[in-house]
Amino acid sequence: MSFFIKKMPRRMIVQALVALPALSLFRKLPEADAGPSQVDQNEIVVVNGWILKRSDLA
Amino acid sequence: MIFDSYNAYRAANFKPKVCILGSGPAGTTVARKLGAAGIPVVVLEAGSREFSDESQDFYRGAKVGDFYFDLDITRLRYMGGSSNHWAGWCRVLDKLDFEPKVWAPDTGWPIRRTDIEPFLPEVRDILDLPEFRPDVPISDDIRWVQLIKSPAVRFAEKFADELDKSRNIAVVLNTYATELAGDGKTVTGARLWSNGQDAGTFSADYFITCTGGLENSRLLLWSNQRSNGGVVPNAAALGRYWMEHPTFEGGNAILANYDEFEVDAVNEAFFSPTLAAMQRLQIMNFGIRLIETPYAGVKRLIADLACTAPDAAEWAAYQLSQNLRCAAQLYVAWEQAPLASNQIELSKTDVDHAGVPRIELHWKKSELERRTLVEGLKLFGTTLIEKDLGRVRLMDWIANGEDYPTNEETAGHHHMGGTRMGTDLTRSVVDADCKVHGMDNLYVGGSSVFCTSGQANPTTTITALACRLGEHLSKVVAV
Repeated sequence: MSFFIKKMPRRMIVQALVALPALSLFRKLPEADAGPSQVDQNEIVVVNGWILKRSDLA
Repeated sequence: MIFDSYNAYRAANFKPKVCILGSGPAGTTVARKLGAAGIPVVVLEAGSREFSDESQDFYRGAKVGDFYFDLDITRLRYMGGSSNHWAGWCRVLDKLDFEPKVWAPDTGWPIRRTDIEPFLPEVRDILDLPEFRPDVPISDDIRWVQLIKSPAVRFAEKFADELDKSRNIAVVLNTYATELAGDGKTVTGARLWSNGQDAGTFSADYFITCTGGLENSRLLLWSNQRSNGGVVPNAAALGRYWMEHPTFEGGNAILANYDEFEVDAVNEAFFSPTLAAMQRLQIMNFGIRLIETPYAGVKRLIADLACTAPDAAEWAAYQLSQNLRCAAQLYVAWEQAPLASNQIELSKTDVDHAGVPRIELHWKKSELERRTLVEGLKLFGTTLIEKDLGRVRLMDWIANGEDYPTNEETAGHHHMGGTRMGTDLTRSVVDADCKVHGMDNLYVGGSSVFCTSGQANPTTTITALACRLGEHLSKVVAV
């Protein structure tokens, strides 16, 4: 590892470190935070003892 | 004829063919049927004409398991039996109650509802009922059901004059049959206790025990013990499969319009599940009783809803402004799964004044029943949502999965099972004609023969079964 770092210009190493945080942008994110349009608003839910449809919670 | 003591009866030299033990709805109905058919019948009633603490003391017993009422409070021991304190609510068991449920073991009767339907006009006359009406589907899952609040016929009051004038019926008060004697094929006699002392033995061609949903099991268990199995030769199920109708406040409802449902004279309505819903969720039958909530209760309920669902609360507040009657309490009573472990045993340590062991009642609600309660309320709540009729809130103890409260209604004082009807000798005590398996002359009347409890109050079905038993016996005895 140290062999490659010694061979690389210092400028390239700095550029790589600066770019690291941006890599996460290319990951495929889970769809858990999908928008309200994809949730069944008529789904029956029990919240605080109330039997409601999801749209009641809006 | 009505006699106040066994000695007075003996002096009359009446010769009965049939001896009925107990003068409650079942005993009185069978006696009237047999008397009308010209068959001489004696009814032995352990109590007198009126309530007394001394008589009730014979009913004391112990309870093991879930909280239950004191056994000397939950029934009455005098002429007319527990009809003296019933509320008069009437409904026949549903057709589906007689059918086996594959998800609940030991359900299903050896008879269908159609077997008792021919007797319903007679039952209406006996109990002073209006026409029975069909259920009304509210959704695919919930049906409106008729539960008649009748004048609550007190059998002793209504029929005392008729019984007194009858030449074929002798009612003997203060006469307690402490045990039956049998030889494994016939009952040979009954040992009696009258006015505080042993009164010898009594014989008749036929015996019918109609002493109630707890006492029938006690009498037969004790008789069988004393006669070495000579009274109930196939006793594996004797005392077992005992059932009640657990009853608790399950929640509240906010309704768009209270007039959406047909309500009775006190603004109550009743709902049950459809067969399809029971099959899909694999639950037992239940009844939800909708009781109108006073105005203050409505406001509190809407304030609670506002914390969870503000828009829905706004909708509810609008409904309240349009209609003062828009909320209800929901009481749930449900069918118990028949379990052999729910049973009546004889006490090993405690006896009554006549020396008969008292009852030890083992009773526990099952997980299936808890699921029936929760799913039942959800079905009702979902129906209100789907029909845009309202919203339901579960009681905290239900929503939080806590234990049953012990300060509530608990159950219906409906004592069922113990001598259940069936064809399997290991799982039942009487056959489809209410005759004890293996015995030629011993029959059982009353709710102890119920195989399942359904959700309906039992007196209507008890009376229908008693009419059927009376008709059957009038043919058997006349031969």
